[in-house]
Amino acid sequence: MRIKEHPILSFSKGRKVQFTFDGKAYEGYEGEPIAAALHAAGVMVLGHSHDKQRPRGFYCAIGNCSSCLMVVNNEPNVRTCTEPLKEGMVVETQKGKGDLR
Amino acid sequence: MLEKTGVATEQDLARVTPSKERRAKGPVAVIECFQRIPCNPCQTACKTGAIKEFKDINDTPEIDHDACTGCGLCVSSCPGLSIVVVDETYSEEEALVKIPYEFLPLPEAGSFVTGLDREGKPVCRAKVVKVLNTKSMDRTPVVSLAVPKDMSMTVRFIKLNDYFSDNTIVCRCEELTMGELRELIRKGYNTVDEIKRISRAGMGPCQGRTCRQLIMQEIAAATGTKMADLTVSTYRPPVKPVKLGTIAGGEHGE
Amino acid sequence: MRTTEIAIIGGGPAGLRAAISAASMGAKVTIIERNENLGGQLVKQTHMFFGSQKQYASTRGIDIAEILLKDLDKYKDRIEIMTNATVLSIFEDGVISIEQDDKYLKIKPQSVIVTTGASEKFLAFPNNDLPGIYGAGAVQTLMNVHGVAPGRSVVMVGAGNIGLIVSYQLMQAGIEVKAILDASPRIGGYLVHASKIRRMGIPILTSHTVKYAHGTDKLQKVTICQLDEKFQQIPGTERDIETDVLCISVGLSPLTELLWQAGCNMKYIPELGGHVPVRDKDLQTSIKGVYVAGDVAGVEEASSAMVEGRLAGLCAAKALGHATADFEELHNDCIEQLNSLRSGHVGEKIRKGLEQVAM
Ligand SMILES: Cc1cc2nc3c(=O)[nH]c(=O)nc-3n(C[C@H](O)[C@H](O)[C@H](O)COP(=O)(O)OP(=O)(O)OC[C@H]3O[C@@H](n4cnc5c(N)ncnc54)[C@H](O)[C@@H]3O)c2cc1C
Ligand code: SF4
Ligand code: SF4
Ligand code: FES
Repeated sequence: MRIKEHPILSFSKGRKVQFTFDGKAYEGYEGEPIAAALHAAGVMVLGHSHDKQRPRGFYCAIGNCSSCLMVVNNEPNVRTCTEPLKEGMVVETQKGKGDLR
Repeated sequence: MLEKTGVATEQDLARVTPSKERRAKGPVAVIECFQRIPCNPCQTACKTGAIKEFKDINDTPEIDHDACTGCGLCVSSCPGLSIVVVDETYSEEEALVKIPYEFLPLPEAGSFVTGLDREGKPVCRAKVVKVLNTKSMDRTPVVSLAVPKDMSMTVRFIKLNDYFSDNTIVCRCEELTMGELRELIRKGYNTVDEIKRISRAGMGPCQGRTCRQLIMQEIAAATGTKMADLTVSTYRPPVKPVKLGTIAGGEHGE
Repeated sequence: MRTTEIAIIGGGPAGLRAAISAASMGAKVTIIERNENLGGQLVKQTHMFFGSQKQYASTRGIDIAEILLKDLDKYKDRIEIMTNATVLSIFEDGVISIEQDDKYLKIKPQSVIVTTGASEKFLAFPNNDLPGIYGAGAVQTLMNVHGVAPGRSVVMVGAGNIGLIVSYQLMQAGIEVKAILDASPRIGGYLVHASKIRRMGIPILTSHTVKYAHGTDKLQKVTICQLDEKFQQIPGTERDIETDVLCISVGLSPLTELLWQAGCNMKYIPELGGHVPVRDKDLQTSIKGVYVAGDVAGVEEASSAMVEGRLAGLCAAKALGHATADFEELHNDCIEQLNSLRSGHVGEKIRKGLEQVAM
């Protein structure tokens, strides 16, 4: 969900871009963190923990905690809470510790 | 207790409430800031000197209500949003309360909103008289509300959906709305009989069959009483409307 | 290897003020900030700040950041700014290593001012790792920087200033706050903040905590319960609240890894949020040429962080030979401002903590 109006802030967004998440098409704004674009589209589960397979969302949103690691354009262990979204990105949930497949 | 609940107690308020005489003279600031914190913009904003110079930045503001002109400059400069201006000379029956309101949408002048107390409980209907939002107020608009005079020291926030002007019909015969009913309950009419007497609700052709339950529910909700404990209205005969002639004609077959 | 006179690690209010004051004395400064933007915590604060005019009271945090950046711009020939640049380590010889845009760099400064701020504390309860359970900082970043709502409704844990302010900001963004819980029997944050939230009808439940979070994929509801005077859960007081976000705001601890690496003498001071460096009145640590300012030196406020930054900047510049005639005057002004900010009831804890780390 995006915040449409705000009494104090105005949000300047980049242009709209397309990306995929686990094969499905999504839309977001260029330059915003990948996790923010996913969250805005209602995706809160970004992956699963490697041992106990527990669902993982983001936690710190500033690149501290590694809760939001995903595979982006085939590269594993990308911190999606800070990684800027770009046109055509291929984003996937990460299974295991993120070995290159 | 304020420290436990975040809501000022009567003792807290007694310390900062302008006297009745002062309030009767015109607009005045009420500063509900009770804790020593490092903060002083209210004092810096006040051009009349009504808010006394702080010896220490942690001092709680001390205001000379007689020197205060009620200009409202301090209202939107207070980071704690703890200042309102109250004007009991607004009209015969109403007082003006000016509150800071940093939310969207802003209420529209002329509209009715619900006045909330310090705990966010709906207490009365308030009319939005003015919405001031100048550049120097820096995104802390000030909303002027006309409220019943006895609510001037109670109303401190608003809810835009107007609880008291809810147009839902409660009594279809006498056309009493939910908003009007709530307003009556607030004024202290809190039995079905009293409400019936003042509004005629329940005295129409249906004799309260449609409205009695709704009125009781509303009284229960507003006064915090259980339905079972409410005073039940007197049921007057007849239980069904009958033509006057029917009765005047005497018992059939007599 | 690149060199600079003073490296400032962290571009929050403390770091920016430090850079401005050191540069105004004539020193050459490099600011290293791991985020894309400067401003630290300020860029998420939409509310008006406390303090006095000198610390921009009554101005919103976001706007204070703008003011600092404008001041910074006045000295742009002496200030180098590195963003997206994380300091990885400070070696004992004073060299610092940095990762910037996937590249590894080293800088040798003559002194460093560490202004890395603080990180959020976490809370232990079953299922605390479910998506939907976020730190207050994350909620703020998502909502105030990226304009995305964290969810439909929120239960806040923590009635300190941050918990109270973030709750208010959530309401401003149109998100329902169902309740604010705090384990303590008293509200820790400023009561004016608490009162403005209560007026909107949001309950503040003191002596309460989260007992359990429920949900399969993501948070669906939380079970809360009451605590006794000894902070023990009272059986039978459990209650469920449906919510898709639980926001945790139970305090900050100074982000001191770099100071440990540099070999600074550290002490555990609960009043200041955890381990903090011992420092002298110039904010120099036990290691010569390593200064600290802001939350990393003790969790406090932006107002004091800025004054500390200014003080550390002045002193670090002076130690490198950049004295100006009014140094004493400026130095005293900083000390006076700090004393005054900390003189009240709320500053009592800070004063107690600082007494134990003075060198
Ligand atoms: C919700 C909330 C409300 C607040 N309200 C107020 C208020 O009303 N009034 C007030 O005075 N204060 C307020 N504060 C407190 C204030 O924001 C902080 O005290 C202040 O920001 C501390 O400044 P700082 O510069 O020490 O740290 P920060 O602002 O945290 O800045 C530290 C910077 O260092 C960077 N950094 C950290 N590690 C590294 C590294 N290894 N390499 C490079 N860069 C690094 C970080 O990215 C960050 O930008 C509030 C805080 C919060 C969270
Ligand atoms: S209303 Fe005006 S005169 Fe009165 S205290 Fe506020 S600023 Fe001063
Ligand atoms: S500006 Fe507001 S919060 Fe600050 S001291 Fe004055 S009344 Fe209190
Ligand atoms: S959410 Fe913590 S690193 Fe991304």
